[in-house]
Amino acid sequence: MRSPVSWALLGLVIQRPSYGYELVQRFERTYEDALDLSSPSQVYAALDALEGRCLIERMAVEEDDASRQPKPHYRATAEGVHDYRDWLVAQLHAERRRSRLFARQVAMLASADALVVIERCERACLREASDTRPAATDDAQIEGPTHSAHLVERLVGEEERLALGARLAWVEYARRQLTTAAAQPSPQPSPRR
Amino acid sequence: MTLLALEHVDRRYRHGACERMVLRDVSLELDTGELVAVWGMRRSGRSTLLRIAAGIEPPDRGVARFAGRNLAGSKGNMLGGGIGYCRRGLGDGDGQEVLEELMVAALARGIPRSKARARAFAALERVGAEQCGARTLRELDTAETVRVTLARALVLGPSLLVLDEPTAGVDLLERDRILSLLRSLADEGLAVLISTGDATALSGADRALSLTAGELRGSFAAPELAPVLPLRRRASG
Repeated sequence: MRSPVSWALLGLVIQRPSYGYELVQRFERTYEDALDLSSPSQVYAALDALEGRCLIERMAVEEDDASRQPKPHYRATAEGVHDYRDWLVAQLHAERRRSRLFARQVAMLASADALVVIERCERACLREASDTRPAATDDAQIEGPTHSAHLVERLVGEEERLALGARLAWVEYARRQLTTAAAQPSPQPSPRR
Repeated sequence: MTLLALEHVDRRYRHGACERMVLRDVSLELDTGELVAVWGMRRSGRSTLLRIAAGIEPPDRGVARFAGRNLAGSKGNMLGGGIGYCRRGLGDGDGQEVLEELMVAALARGIPRSKARARAFAALERVGAEQCGARTLRELDTAETVRVTLARALVLGPSLLVLDEPTAGVDLLERDRILSLLRSLADEGLAVLISTGDATALSGADRALSLTAGELRGSFAAPELAPVLPLRRRASG
């Protein structure tokens, strides 16, 4: 299963059992700008896919209003929870691969061009770093869903801040290396025989 | 309004025959109510930049101005006269209580003892360290030391605060509390300039800049706001 939307949806069902329309709303609220939903129907298609792979299952829920058609509620299976954990860890490897690719592509440029990229990268990092906000720190007493939302916000914020810090440190290192490389005479091509 | 302006500042340090360029052509403006954070690694020149901004040491070339006045001749006299400077650590204060320690600068300026005490206590309250007043400096933990350092700078009512690595060595929760405190001081109208070796401390700044081998990068001045045009009065009749 490759679709990040399906995995994201599985995460929501693991968090708590839910039905289609509620999942659409929770999806948009939880993932905001991190993951786009092309249309609500994407959620229903993903639910079918997850159910087909036995990662989620329908559960019996009594409808308050007997005249209404019962909404199918979904909960995660043990296999779903297991696979979701594995997928999360695999995402870290994917992230590392993207970073390695970026570093290689910068290194392939001529020094002057690479330095321009580095400069722009640094400016973007500085802007993003100052746009982050220190976590609200006095919410230790908050309980329930609000506490959970604060926890998510705090973990996401810290991850972003640390990643930007690592990127800034890399930018400085890359600038030094590229500047040194640019100052060295380029090797003469060996004469043809 | 621009409160602090560094213009094409160079600074060199000489150790015997060795000379090291610490700051190169650094320009920076800081407005009232702005929080600006400078990130740099060790030996990037960040502490030197802050000492020049506070008027503690002069640049070799270029000018540092505070409220339009050249800081070069002040020899640190602007400290307490508009600029509050917080270096890392407080020393041990000879076993003196924190409240007494905070009163020293006010007493030295001829402020009566009762008023100096009230000011010192108000400053401690403002930074959330009122519980530290009766302790000695040696009894403070790292985060409390930062808060007390900040309170000492606030006692004389500066309009510019310069802080060298205010979040170094504090735990993550305290780091964010200190950053929120600095943000709130800027929101009250103080200009705040901090240095940091930890990029997570750039959070909440109006501008973040980087300093590498003495070269400052980023936005040197606050972005200009669109001019506020007076509303045109509707023609009556």
